[in-house]
Amino acid sequence: MTFRFAFLVLAAGLLGTAPALAAPLDRSALVARLCGSAAEMGEAAGTLITLAASGSAEDRAFAAPLARAAMEKKLTCDEAGALLTAGGGTLDAITSAPRAEQGASRAPVLSLKNRAVFELADAALALRSAASPAERASALRTLERKPGSLPDGLLDAAAAEETDAGLKGQIETLAQTAALNASDIAKRITAIGRVADNPSRRALAQVGALKQDPAYAGDPAFRAAVDAGISRIERGIAIGDTLAALYNGLSFASILFMAAIGLAIIFGLMGVINLAQGEFIMIGAYVTWLVQEGLRRAAPALVDWYLVLAIPAAFLVTAAIGVALEAALLRHLYRRPLMSLLATWAVSLFLVNLVRVGFGTQNLQFETPFYVTGGVPVIGDFIFTWNRMFAILFAVVTLALTTALIRFTPLGLNIRAVTQNRDMAACIGIPTRRVDMMAFGLGSGLAGLAGLALSPIYSVNPQMGQNFIIDSFMVVVLGGVGTIAGTVVAALGIGQINVLIEPLWGAVAAKVIVLLMIIAFLQWRPEGLFAVKGRRK
Amino acid sequence: MPAILRSAQAAGPVKLGCLFSSSGTMANLEGRLNYVVKMAADELNAKGGVNGRTVEVLVSDPASDWPLYAQSAKQMLQQEKVAALFGCWTSVSRKTVLPVVEQEKGLLYYPLHFEGDENSKNVVYVNSPPASSVLPAVDYLMSEDGVSAKRFFMLGSDYVWPRTINKQLKGYWKTKGIPESAWKEEYVPFGFSNFQTLVNQIRAFADQGGGQPVVVLTVVGNSIPDFMREFANQGIKATDIPVLGLDMVEADLEGLDTSKLVGHLNCWAYLQNAKGEANKKFLASWADYVKAKSVPFKGDVAIDPMVSAYDAVHLWAMAAAKAGSFDVPEVSKAFGGLSFDCPSGYKIGMTGENNYVSRGVFIGSVNDAQGFDILWQSKDTPKPVPFSPYG
Repeated sequence: MTFRFAFLVLAAGLLGTAPALAAPLDRSALVARLCGSAAEMGEAAGTLITLAASGSAEDRAFAAPLARAAMEKKLTCDEAGALLTAGGGTLDAITSAPRAEQGASRAPVLSLKNRAVFELADAALALRSAASPAERASALRTLERKPGSLPDGLLDAAAAEETDAGLKGQIETLAQTAALNASDIAKRITAIGRVADNPSRRALAQVGALKQDPAYAGDPAFRAAVDAGISRIERGIAIGDTLAALYNGLSFASILFMAAIGLAIIFGLMGVINLAQGEFIMIGAYVTWLVQEGLRRAAPALVDWYLVLAIPAAFLVTAAIGVALEAALLRHLYRRPLMSLLATWAVSLFLVNLVRVGFGTQNLQFETPFYVTGGVPVIGDFIFTWNRMFAILFAVVTLALTTALIRFTPLGLNIRAVTQNRDMAACIGIPTRRVDMMAFGLGSGLAGLAGLALSPIYSVNPQMGQNFIIDSFMVVVLGGVGTIAGTVVAALGIGQINVLIEPLWGAVAAKVIVLLMIIAFLQWRPEGLFAVKGRRK
Repeated sequence: MPAILRSAQAAGPVKLGCLFSSSGTMANLEGRLNYVVKMAADELNAKGGVNGRTVEVLVSDPASDWPLYAQSAKQMLQQEKVAALFGCWTSVSRKTVLPVVEQEKGLLYYPLHFEGDENSKNVVYVNSPPASSVLPAVDYLMSEDGVSAKRFFMLGSDYVWPRTINKQLKGYWKTKGIPESAWKEEYVPFGFSNFQTLVNQIRAFADQGGGQPVVVLTVVGNSIPDFMREFANQGIKATDIPVLGLDMVEADLEGLDTSKLVGHLNCWAYLQNAKGEANKKFLASWADYVKAKSVPFKGDVAIDPMVSAYDAVHLWAMAAAKAGSFDVPEVSKAFGGLSFDCPSGYKIGMTGENNYVSRGVFIGSVNDAQGFDILWQSKDTPKPVPFSPYG
């Protein structure tokens, strides 16, 4: 009886300890190492990764907040161990009970090397235990970047537990990818196929390295798979590079177009060289910022949409400043082009310094709403970035609206008439002065919109406008004074040529070459790409 | 100057001149240094001035226009008879001022870390040459404790500082047996913002394999935030490709969402998180000064050149007091053996050998609060080496 009982206890003990023998987790030792030297922290992160693959559910739940806290500097080491900052209070890292700081404390800073390991540990733990599928999906994306350093069994365990069918498929795919260097040839061939499904230079380096593998020489099926994989990846990269070049060119063109369109109207209509155009762009960006700050105070829920809500304000404020400038200053100088050039330059200096005194010289702090954050990898090494897409879409809409305005409205008709022949237009009763004022307002307002569109891409400060003035004149002069179509084509051309030259000879040379090409072109065709038909003044 | 004039002048304050732009591209960075110099002068005056005379600070605005720095320097030296100049950020501006201070026998305190390879007796190089700033940082990246960096993408603005730094780095890597195929060098014009294509190139460079890649960033001014924004937007993290921003300070991160940039590096002789009483005192007096004089800069941000300018004023005052004179040759003779408790926590010092100051080295890591955490710092102050053996 006693013997039997003892045997049962022994058996139960064995059963109970069997899984624990594989990974006995000493929680306090783990926390102590998290507070130790850089090398010890690295070891601790290694333990966390192992836990993600083979630890018990409890241990994983214990480990997950640790990895995250170490990355976000929410782990504080004090004399009694370590604390986690969560919500408003602090919890003991080992017992998770609320506790106050004891003695001297410090928040350890992760070295770069450790940060990579902690990032992996955090993602691995999140993949196993995060509550929402979105969090698990984002963890999986982090793991995908380093398939080689994942512990065995992590992905299989995660796939087995996964409840979301789509995510489960993705995890299984990643598991197959990770088998690139496994021992089973069939698995390796599948892995090559999987890697080649997402062509990139990194994938090419992975698969390319297999040419040195003994199996490449020995196994014809493996060899064929590697060769096919490489050619598929290379094709993907070529497509990706072409798309990337087109997209980069288009995005640069959209920036140039936005900066130049207002100028094209003003310069084309009145022959006024408005050197303050860049400052209108800057003011547009500042108005956007003011709208954002206003929303933050008045309607915090809408702050994310400030880029859309600021559109009317950015347009109207800069247009009003433009109209005021025209009425107060420029209309007295129409017969003296040199004077108007100097006057607008003075205005530009005045505006820069006014903003400098009013707001300071620092870069303004903009929220980055979700629709202009990050990007989506498409194919090869081409990433579709949302802030650029925003600028492109914005430029397209602006182009459509401006064209419609010039083509189909009475104001547009008047602007076209005055552009073609000012004296004749005046003779048939068009109020040319009023048209000038409206057109100047329109041109300035468009510059304000450019400022809005550029704020997610460039730094906003009092000097930002000065970068655009030369580029936008280049576009206007090349396109042919006063034509919207010319502005579009010139912006596309300059943008694309710049982007094509840059990787070959560098950004400095690209600028020089583009300027030389424009000079040569204007020698041959001084009126630009599209000349306005009609009698020139 | 005849002795009789000198004694007549002695009653008035002694003048110091500032050459920092309050307008143009450099305004946001240089502008704050004017106020730091004034703050340091106030500290001197509170202790009774230097050699019995109060210190007065004159400010100019060279408007980020390089030739204008030389013009302002000349004016200050000839008309205002300033005892010392404090100024310049970019190496271009220092190079334009150099002939002026040498000709007029003036004294310029230069507060930025720079490319070295210069040793004028009329310039005091308050900050570090590459041997005691860039090289330790690159060494750290290449070490086992860092990221074991093997491949380097150098991206800089197109002028003397980035080109010289990169030349020296290449020389250094050659001595370490790193092949030429392991690095790539690109330059952009001043004020360049459109980094889309360059970031694509960096990704392609990194994905070629062959070891951990890093970016050594020597672009200046607004190109820094514009580059970092595009870098993060294309989804690259510091754990994929770390960026060592040699001119990157807290002020460059203003206006950026740094949660996606955590882990990128910089290296300076001072970081705001430096430990010690001297730093606490400096930060408190800067915050008070900003409040009291309504300075148009943040009272809770302190960057290395500010501290270097602050050190410079004190180093000058110590030399002048030691010499018992404001004459440049006399002051210069007193440089040997000076030392000062810098806010960085190090005791910085000068030897009679050259006009360099030995400083500590910090490597900072971007945190999510638009600042830098201290990742590594040197044990003591390495002896500055003016001329690089690698360039």
